[in-house]
Formats: sequence, structure tokens, C-alpha cells
Amino acid sequence: MHLEWGFFLRDIGDGETTYLSWLFSAWGWTLAVAGCAWVLALLLGSVVGTLRTMQVTWVARLANAWVELFRNIPLLVQIFLWYHVIPSLIPPLRDVPSFVLVVFGLGLFTSSRVAEQVRAGIQSLPHGQRHAGMALGLTTAQTYRYVLLPMAFRIVIPPLTSEAMNIIKNSSVAFAVSISELTLFAMQAQEETSRGVEVYLAVTTLYIITAMTINRLMALIEKRVRVPGYVGGDR
Amino acid sequence: MIGNLDLSFFNWELVSNFLAKGFYFSIQLTLIAMAGGIVFGTALALCRLSGRPWLALPAATYVNTMRSIPLVMVILWFFLLIPLLIGRSMGAELSAIITFTLFEAAYYSEIMRAGIQSVARGQVYAGYALGLTYGQTMRLIVLPQAFRNMLPVLLTQTIILFQDTSLVYAIGAYDLLKGFEVAGKNFNRPVEAYLLAAVVYFVICFSLSSVVKKLQTRIAIIR
Amino acid sequence: MIEIKNVSKWYGSFQVLTKCSTSVKKGEVVVVCGPSGSGKSTLIKCVNALEPFQEGEVVIDGTSVGAAGTDLPRLRSKVGMVFQHFELFPHLSIIENLTLAQVKVLNRSAEAARDKGLALLERVGLTAHADKFPGQLSGGQQQRVAIARALAMDPMCMLFDEPTSALDPEMINEVLDVMVQLAQEGMTMMCVTHEMGFARKVAHRVIFMDKGEIVEDATKDDFFGKPRSERAVQFLSKILQH
Repeated sequence: MHLEWGFFLRDIGDGETTYLSWLFSAWGWTLAVAGCAWVLALLLGSVVGTLRTMQVTWVARLANAWVELFRNIPLLVQIFLWYHVIPSLIPPLRDVPSFVLVVFGLGLFTSSRVAEQVRAGIQSLPHGQRHAGMALGLTTAQTYRYVLLPMAFRIVIPPLTSEAMNIIKNSSVAFAVSISELTLFAMQAQEETSRGVEVYLAVTTLYIITAMTINRLMALIEKRVRVPGYVGGDR
Repeated sequence: MIGNLDLSFFNWELVSNFLAKGFYFSIQLTLIAMAGGIVFGTALALCRLSGRPWLALPAATYVNTMRSIPLVMVILWFFLLIPLLIGRSMGAELSAIITFTLFEAAYYSEIMRAGIQSVARGQVYAGYALGLTYGQTMRLIVLPQAFRNMLPVLLTQTIILFQDTSLVYAIGAYDLLKGFEVAGKNFNRPVEAYLLAAVVYFVICFSLSSVVKKLQTRIAIIR
Repeated sequence: MIEIKNVSKWYGSFQVLTKCSTSVKKGEVVVVCGPSGSGKSTLIKCVNALEPFQEGEVVIDGTSVGAAGTDLPRLRSKVGMVFQHFELFPHLSIIENLTLAQVKVLNRSAEAARDKGLALLERVGLTAHADKFPGQLSGGQQQRVAIARALAMDPMCMLFDEPTSALDPEMINEVLDVMVQLAQEGMTMMCVTHEMGFARKVAHRVIFMDKGEIVEDATKDDFFGKPRSERAVQFLSKILQH
């Protein structure tokens, strides 16, 4: 097969944008969608995951329902719900840009997975840790803030790393609601240039570079917050 | 507003004309990709654990590549490449089936690998000590245990696979979601159609994952 | 100081404590022993309400633990507790383990808390380890830190839940030494332990539990001299054999 990369420097027909600059702006959109959704997912997921370990039954139930809801509907369908259904049911949301809707769709979907990890992290701590905090007179909130969560978050960094890499991959569904991110670029540029292999190779490479960067970044964080003398899950 | 929702179009005609075909394809895709993915995935896992670099390295590269690319891109890749390789175009549905089988194999192989590694090392030694070969030890002793340990995870992955089949939207294959979309366009009720789609997917996936949860506790007790 | 009156507790339909009643007076050292599964750990956790109970009452220094309006964190801050598995906070340094609750619960200044913490570390002989992390210490050292952590709150009494049973044999004595010293200084203590040497040395009373019931509640001399119940005799013969 004969590859030809010259077309990346051609303009797309508007006289100023080249395919290359379009590619990079698409990468930017991918990072923006995934980044914003990740922040949302991390915040919501931490709260929901923590609530799931509460000893107040109805709070835990509500948090469980959240997880089940967002975990059992395909992401693409959730994106369509945010894009087509919610604005038509709630008219004030009609003018919200589709970028924001996709961020919410992807963010809430991922929040259920983050919540699951955070819950597992907290529950993997020895039960005595909670008791030790309480026995010192810490309130429930203080026990979570100073005793349980600092360890739980260290424990869940590896699974959260894969979730962060997943969110980059999952942001590709934004193509379905016309966000000009990498996958939509791939489809449109392939159509226009008929150089599908080159286009897909470029896009795929950018996805892999992004995922690898996140992986390294999280490994760095993991190293920074490592607790001396603590080997995960010993005892 | 919610009061404007009109679900009256949801009748037998809708189901038989638009949904049945899509649902059938989604299920077909899920089952074929699961069966093929588990077989191919187990082979990949055994290659990676074989200790022979010429087997382990290609298998690892395959798995890691598949796992680091978005599924939508993989679907697009295969849809582009298969016609280039075989010289004629292939339907979106058949292309999807090949793609999902090869893609899911990477994920199933990671599950199998973890499952095999979860079987105590002593079991392998016990097999060798009885004079069994590597293949016999795997087939008769390790894999049956690994498979039981991993059954809930394999099934959970299959539920995810079922959800992911909706992504064939990217190449226009006619699956369950497409069925709802076409119906929504036909009856001019897209909002209701998407809402119904969400409910149907939720009911299916939620019931399946409840079953898996039950199974998980049962297996935990047996062990 | 500690009054336990008719406490019963169930896990679902399984009864783990049956009408347990006893008391610990100020300055008294009470040892609770019994076979595993006898409910002794559960009972001691009921004292500061780490485990809820369904019937009966626990009163500490005039405050009822189970009552609706009780400020449990405040009450617990006055009752020190030492756990079987130490339960130091692994992400905090040794000195931070000692200062956290002083600052967050008692609102002491960081400096005051640190001074107090260092003084207590000196007392348990671990000053040099102040800036290490729990995972870098041996089990015996960790448990001594845990005792110091509880003492940092200036508790009016101390609860010990099998403080030496997770330790390697050579480390048991360093922990017991600290406990003996505490007892001799007049600390009110309730200790779940199998260390009968410790009981003989400092206990005033010994409680023997079996199957969720307090079978025997006697002075040390009575308990070791002429235990009244068959079950206590059997238990003692098993535990004192070696």
C-alpha cells in the first residue's frame, strides 16, 4: 500500500485552514470534551462513591441508584438523551451549546464508574480505620476527610488511571452530535480526501499519544503521593 | 414539556417493523462477538502466559493496541480496511461482526489472563507433579478453575459489549438503536423514540447485571 | 466510671451479647477474657458505641452512650481506645497520627499538640521515629504509637481490644510494659486480652465471657484461685498450659 501525506498541507476549501490544522483543532476538542467531562466525573463520582459507603441506608441507596442508572444505558444513547431529549423536555436548556451537553453526558456516565472505584477503595480499607477515627472523637465527616478518603484515593489511582484513559476513548462518541473532535474529523476528512488510511493513522496516533501521556501523568501522581512503608493491601 | 410526550406510536407495528430487526442484529452481534472473543481471547491469554517471547510479544502488542484505540475508531478502521484487503465492499453488519469479535478478544483475553493468574501457582505444580503436560495442566486444571472465577467478570464484559454494539451507528449498521432512530423519524417522534431506547437498554442491562450479581454471590459461597 | 447494664446485641437474628452487666470504677483495671467468638471484643466496642447495641445501657462518667442526644464524638474523645491491628493512619507520619485528633477534636494549637505528642512518644520510647510513617515501624512499635495516640487526648479511661494478639511473640512485652506502667499510674482500664501474666500483675478484676454472656466477674485472686464455672476452668487450663 502506498501512503501519501501531502494532503495534510492542502487547505480544506475555505482558503485558509489546512487539514493539518483541522486535525489539531479536532485534537483540541477531544481534549476539551474529555478534560471537562473528567473534572465533572471526578467530582460527582467521588461524592457518590463516598455516599455509597455511608451507614445511612437511604443515602447509600440513592447513590447506588445513581450508579445503576448511568451504568446500564449505552453511552451513545445517553449522549442522544442529553442532545435530543433533555433540551426538548426542559426548554430553558434549548440554547445550551452541544459541547456542554456532551460534557454532561460523558461526565455523568463516567461518574458512575468513578463512584464504583471510590466505593471499592473506601471499602478495601480495614474496618478498624473507621473505628480508630471515631474512637478518637472525630465526627463521621472528619473521619472521611482525614482518615478514609486520603488512603482510599491513593488506592484507587491505578483504576482511575484506566478510567481517565477510557474517557479519552469514550469522548469519541461526541462525533454523533457533531462535535468537531478527532473521530468526526476522521470520518469527514476520510470522505473528502479519500486518504482514509493516512487520516485514520494520524487520528489513531493522536489518541494513543494522549492515552500514554495520561498514563505517565497518573504514574507521576501515584509516585508523588506514595506513602513510605505502605505496600498496597498488606496485612 | 413532559406533558407533550406522546407514546401512542409505541405499538406492535413499531416493534415488528422497526425494532425486531435491529434487536435481532444487536443480540446476534453480541453473542457472536462474545463466543468468538472468548475463544480468541483465551488463545491470546495463553500466548501471553506461555513464556515464549515469539508468542507473548505479538499477543501483547495486539491486545494493547486494541485497548488503546477508541472502539468507534476500530469500527471505522475495519470498515475501511476490509474492502481494501478483499477487494470488494462488505456490508456494515458483517464488518461490525468481524470488528467486534476481534476487538472484544483483546478485552476477554485480559480477563482470562487475570483469571488464570488467580489460580494458585501450586495448582500448576501439582499438575506437573502428576506428570501432566503444559497443555493438559491448562486444559484440565487451570482453565476450569479460572473460568469459574472469571464467569461474573466475563458476563459483565458481555453486558458492556451489548451496550457497545450501539456504536455501529458510526457505520450505519441497523441495530436496536438504529431501529429506534428510524422509528422516531418515521413517526416524527424522535424524543420519545430515544427515551424509549434508553428505557429498553436500561431494562435489559439492569436485569442482566442483577443476574450477574446473584451469580457472583453464589460463586463466592461455593468457593 | 463505666457502667454496663443489661446490654444485649444481635446481628440480624443472631444474638452476640446477652444481658451483659458490669462496671469499671475509677482507677480500676479490669481484664476481659474468653474464647474467640465469645463477644468480648464486641462488648468493649459497645462501651464507646463503635458497635451499636439494641438493649440495655452503657453509662460513662454519667453520660449514657446509647441515648439519643449524646454527643458521641465528644464522649469518644474522652475514652482512649487501642485496637488489635493498631489502626494507625498509614498516610500520616507518626507525629501527625498523634496530633490529628488533638487539633481537629480538642482544638489544640498545632504547637501544643506537637509538644504533647513528642512528650508521649518519649514516654513510649519512640521519639526517634516521630517523622517516620506507620508502615516503616514494627508491629510492637506501631502499637506503642497507638497507645500514645490515645493518651494524647488525655482520656479519663482506656479501652484495649486484644492489643497484643496481632503481634509477633518477641514484641508482646514492649507493649505490655507500657500498659503495666499505665495501670500502675492509676489509669482506669478495660482490657480484652489473653495475657494472663498481665492480668495477674495489674488487674483488679477479671471478667470471663463465653457465648455472649458474662460467665464470671470476680476479683483477680478469686478468678485465678477458685474459678466457679466449669467453662472458666476449662479456658484457664487451655490458656495456661504453655
